[in-house]
Parts: sequence; structure tokens; C-alpha cells
Amino acid sequence: MRDKELEAKLRLVGLQLDNWKKLHDLITYGLDKAKPIISSEQERQFTEIRSNLLQETEYILRELNIVAEVSGKAMSVLQRGVSVRGVRDLPGDEIRRLEGDWNAAFTKLGLKQGQLKARRKELAEQSFLEYYWIQLKNRYFRRPATAH
Amino acid sequence: METRLLVLNPDPVFQDRVLAILDDNAELEIQIVRTLSEAVLALLDENFDGSILEGEEPVILEQATDIRQHFPSLRIACLLNDRRSPEIEAIGSEQNIELLTLPRSDRRLRANLNSFLRSLDSHPGTAAEGIDPCHSLIGNLNLFSAAEILQMSCLSQRSGRFTFKSSRGNSEIYLQQGSVRHAVFGSLEGEAAVAEIFRWRQGRFYFEEGIISQEQTVNRPWAHLLIDNLQKLDETLELLGV
Repeated sequence: MRDKELEAKLRLVGLQLDNWKKLHDLITYGLDKAKPIISSEQERQFTEIRSNLLQETEYILRELNIVAEVSGKAMSVLQRGVSVRGVRDLPGDEIRRLEGDWNAAFTKLGLKQGQLKARRKELAEQSFLEYYWIQLKNRYFRRPATAH
Repeated sequence: METRLLVLNPDPVFQDRVLAILDDNAELEIQIVRTLSEAVLALLDENFDGSILEGEEPVILEQATDIRQHFPSLRIACLLNDRRSPEIEAIGSEQNIELLTLPRSDRRLRANLNSFLRSLDSHPGTAAEGIDPCHSLIGNLNLFSAAEILQMSCLSQRSGRFTFKSSRGNSEIYLQQGSVRHAVFGSLEGEAAVAEIFRWRQGRFYFEEGIISQEQTVNRPWAHLLIDNLQKLDETLELLGV
């Protein structure tokens, strides 16, 4: 059984994670004092990735139903990291905050991807009939939650 | 066996109509890239059966032409609007790029995509291989590239047939007295086939001494082919920096 909606979500989360990884690579490069040269090509790539993330993050997080948890952190990373050179010039506490927020957004997206993949695996093991039987069972025979 | 498709789309999140249709196909493995350099990197590393390009018309045609120059055996399709100028049609047929229409109706779009995907299904897969005593040289392309093996054989003035086997298919290069005489890979022949095999980094090869081709499709000395193809490889790698 293949769920179209699930596949679309997996694709979106994959694209989003890919962009966060690329952004991290450039941030890491910017923070590495042993690599003094920041090329215009790297700055161009950074702007490109940042632009993609700014356009897509809100939409993807909404599709994945994790706007409340991740949106603030994601926006904080995108607002602090304006360019590779800009990241290099950030003060120490801002860098730590940037890394912390990046990590929080990345972790949440990674977890979501894992959950979606697990769901896909579950569905792949179910036949078409089994899938609809479970849906029906949940709809009509589910016990109401008991109050404690 | 799954069909592997590379989708080049600069905006895959918001233009996901095609991807949503492709998602329905369980036999399809899709990799999505946003830029030409990412596409070239993916094509260099992995074996794709085909590629679909989506985006704005002049840009994707230019990108498709670039990909065609560097990956001559790849099946490429561009998704374009209904109205096409004769110039675009001419570029498509000259570069062997399929021009698929992007209709409003999902049913028609699905039909267009499926017809392209069906044409990819005839990929050859990895051929079974046994060790034959007449193979005077056998090896793996992970360790020695096709260029290195051919260089060694041409320098030692060998005559015979090289067979290269990978998931892309089988190809043959015939040597005569240290020169490439004939090369064939699928529908490609001559220098185009040599150029394709030159880049392979996966698969196996073996050499059978003394088998000479009656056909001659390559007329230049090996040194020229080597320099040309190394230059071409450099140009392909340059695209990564675009």
C-alpha cells in the first residue's frame, strides 16, 4: 500500500533537510578560522539556499504539522545567518544560539522524517484491503477515551 | 528492478504536480535536484535511466543541452508548455531530447509521463558473467577506470576486444595494434561510445586477445581520444561549479 500524501510529505521533508544540511556546511565553513577565503561562489550558494529556505520553510512545516515547534528556531537561524561572512563576524553567544537553533530545527525535521519513513514501511507491509479495514475499524469501532 | 529517474526542478516544493504523479509509481526511484551542478554531480556518481527537466522554457532547454553534451546515452525529457516554436522542436530533435507537453489536465500529463517512463523500462541491467579462459584480463572498474585500462592496453600495442559491463549496459571496444578501431554502446558507436565508457566508475571489464572488428568507427589515434575525453571530463566537472 502506497500513500500519496505520505510520499509527498516525505519528499518535502527530504528537500527541507537537504537545504538545512547545505546551509550547515556553509555555516561551518564560515566559522572555520583556518579557512580564511570565502569565495563569491560560496556566498552565492548561501544566498540561494537561504532564499529557498525562506520561501519554503513555513509551507513545509505547516504540511508536516510542526510549525509551532520549529518555525521560530528556523527563522532565527535564517535571520542571524545573512551571509557566510556575516556568520564569521557574529559574536560568540550569537554563534552558539545560531548553532543551537539550527540543531533544534534539524533534529525535529529528522525525527519527522524518521516517523514518516516508519509509517511508509508499515503501509508497505499492508495490503489495500488491510489498510481500508483498519481505517474502517478505527472509524466505527474505536472505544471512546475513558476519563481518569 | 527499479527505474531510476533524476528530476531537475529549481522549485520542486511549489511545482510538485509532476512529482505527485511520479510518486504513484512504486517501481520508480526518484532523485530531485534543483540546479544543473547538482544534476551533473548526481549523474556522475550514479546510474540513472533517465532525467526529466522542469522549469522555465529557455533555461531548461539550455540545461538539457548541457546534460546531453556530457551524458550522451542518458534519456532526457523536458516538460514544456503546449505552444512551442519550431526552433525549440529543432533543438529537441537535434539533441535527442524528448519534449513533453505540460497540459492542464492531470490525466494527459500522467499519460505523457508514463509514455516517457515506459521508454526507460528497457534498461539492460547487469549481465551475468562467468570467467572464461579466453579472457586475458579481467577486473573491476572501481579499482581501474576504463581510461586507465585502455591507456595501458594501447601503450602495449594490444589487439583484441574489451567488454565493459555495468548496470548501464554492456559495451565493447575493439583495439588493433594499440589503437581503438571500433566502439559500441547501445545505439552509440565510435567516439561517442568511447566518451561514454570513459567516465564509467562502476562495473566490470574483460579483455579477449585477438578478436578484431571488421567495422571501423574510430579513426583517430588513442592519444587524441585520451586528451579529448580528459578535456571533456574537465568540462563536465566545471559544470559542478556553475
